[in-house]
Amino acid sequence: MDALIAAAARALSAGDPLAALQRVALRDDPPALALRGIAMAQLGELVRARELLRRAARAFGARETVARSRCVVAEAEVALALREPGGPPRALLAACAALRVRGDTANAGQGHLIAARRALLLGQLGEVREQLSQARALDLPPLASAVMELVAAELALRSLHTRAAREALIRAHAAAQVAAVPALLAEVRALAAELDRPAARCVDARGEQALRLDGVEALLASRALVVDACRHGLSAGAAWRPLAGRPVLFALAQTLAEAWPADVPREALIARAFRQRVTDETHRARLRVEIGRLRALIAPVAGIAATPRGFVLRPEGDRPVALLLPPLAGEGAALQALLADGAAWSSAALAQALGASQRTVQRALAALEAQGRARAVGRSRARRWLAPPLSGFTTILLLPAALSPD
Amino acid sequence: MSRNTPTQPAQIVREYGPFDGTAVHGVTHDGRHVWAALGPCLVAIDPASGETVRTLARPGDAGTAFDGRHLYQIAEARIDKIDPADGRVLASIPAPGQGADSGMAWAEGSLWVGQYRERKIHQIDPETGAILRTIESDRFVTGVTWVDGELWHGTWEGDDSELRRLDPADGAVLQRLQMPAGMGVSGLESDGGDLFYCGGGGSQRVRAVRRPRG
Repeated sequence: MDALIAAAARALSAGDPLAALQRVALRDDPPALALRGIAMAQLGELVRARELLRRAARAFGARETVARSRCVVAEAEVALALREPGGPPRALLAACAALRVRGDTANAGQGHLIAARRALLLGQLGEVREQLSQARALDLPPLASAVMELVAAELALRSLHTRAAREALIRAHAAAQVAAVPALLAEVRALAAELDRPAARCVDARGEQALRLDGVEALLASRALVVDACRHGLSAGAAWRPLAGRPVLFALAQTLAEAWPADVPREALIARAFRQRVTDETHRARLRVEIGRLRALIAPVAGIAATPRGFVLRPEGDRPVALLLPPLAGEGAALQALLADGAAWSSAALAQALGASQRTVQRALAALEAQGRARAVGRSRARRWLAPPLSGFTTILLLPAALSPD
Repeated sequence: MSRNTPTQPAQIVREYGPFDGTAVHGVTHDGRHVWAALGPCLVAIDPASGETVRTLARPGDAGTAFDGRHLYQIAEARIDKIDPADGRVLASIPAPGQGADSGMAWAEGSLWVGQYRERKIHQIDPETGAILRTIESDRFVTGVTWVDGELWHGTWEGDDSELRRLDPADGAVLQRLQMPAGMGVSGLESDGGDLFYCGGGGSQRVRAVRRPRG
């Protein structure tokens, strides 16, 4: 590296991006472009920063793999901060591999964490898991470790593994304290608070009560047959019968669970599942068909028996029955409960899951989006809906060392 | 040209450092101590014990040289002439690359300054900074030294790093010492005898490399 680049890098690592810029402002050689990009990112000029980092990555020579890869990683982090994840992260993953091979594990790990956070934003939970395991295999500095554990905690929360989430948060807290970054500590506390918030309501033989996430997890792990109106399915111990695509069947299951251990009259089932007030013989025939379908789907978890006036839920092996509802009533809450799994949903799938019209769901989604309680990615037919990230990751965590001279 | 150049692996005799928290930029040798520019300061190292014996709070962002009495240090876009006894700056001249400079050496009354990505070595007047002549290399120049009439420069381009002996007349490469993979050279100085000292950049180390004879 040359003198002004070294001096600018020195200023950057001392937390003075303006002093760094001053030294390389008029230079367009690749190291200067990269440093200007980092400095601009630190000053919050993200669009300009991304452009400079892109130019730098293109301008480095064929042999300067490490320098180029660091630019790619930094550019991906800026894109993430802009919430514009762009196309598939092939270049980012190639840069991670190149950095790891050449011994720059800190920046390789940083790259994998950016890829994991990007996948989290896009609801690609399998990819989050993959990138986390890549990052975990590397020896990371405390700041990156804290970010990694935050991502792990969010992933665990999305999959309702509250104990794993708590453990990850403890590790995140410890790492954030070592890194001494107040913003990160605040993220850890915010995510921990999420664990203590009411996550659902449970209705069973004892009445209704609010549950925190660990309560939900405990309920799902118990013997009870849970009709889950948050994720739309039936759970009994390890068994899970998704009904998100079968709104009529789910409405029947929910109505049967509400009445359990009593039975439900046919008219009531028809009214709830088919939204018909007047009942005639064709509705009764259709009810028999749908009950038959539900029976087939939920066996062997539970049976459905006919009674003189209707049907009753018969959980297998004497299990109690519980109904799990979103923490608040209403369309918005039901949508949020579905989005809480962190996956990306189309509005058509959400409408199908809730048994509501697409138009109703789109209206509700627009309202949630306006309140910052749901996010959309993609356009028109490719548009997908997601829960907002639990943790903010608003701070740019770009290390000044990311591009420091070797 | 370089196809027939004698090439051998660099033989690393000893490592100094790591010098905490800062890259090693320039290195020089004052006959007893090895000086290294560490960004915010210059340090003198006792090559026998590896101890840091002096620290001057003078910025050093690139090449370092010694003329027998004074240290010359590239800082940003200038070259400071420093009294090694007390760290006072006695004079400053503009650096020929206007800040794009890397290595530096003293020889025969001139300073020789490497211009990193321009792949050049300038011979300059130490009083005025005027460029007397320019030698072209075909690699990035990250360190320069003269020993026994031989001009050597360090190069570091991507993953490849070498010490190269050039013909000062036409820049032809006469000899190459290849550094092991992952070891960069960010500053070069001979001790006048059998050793080169190389700055190791972000590795925060100074390495002693055996100088081949004959």
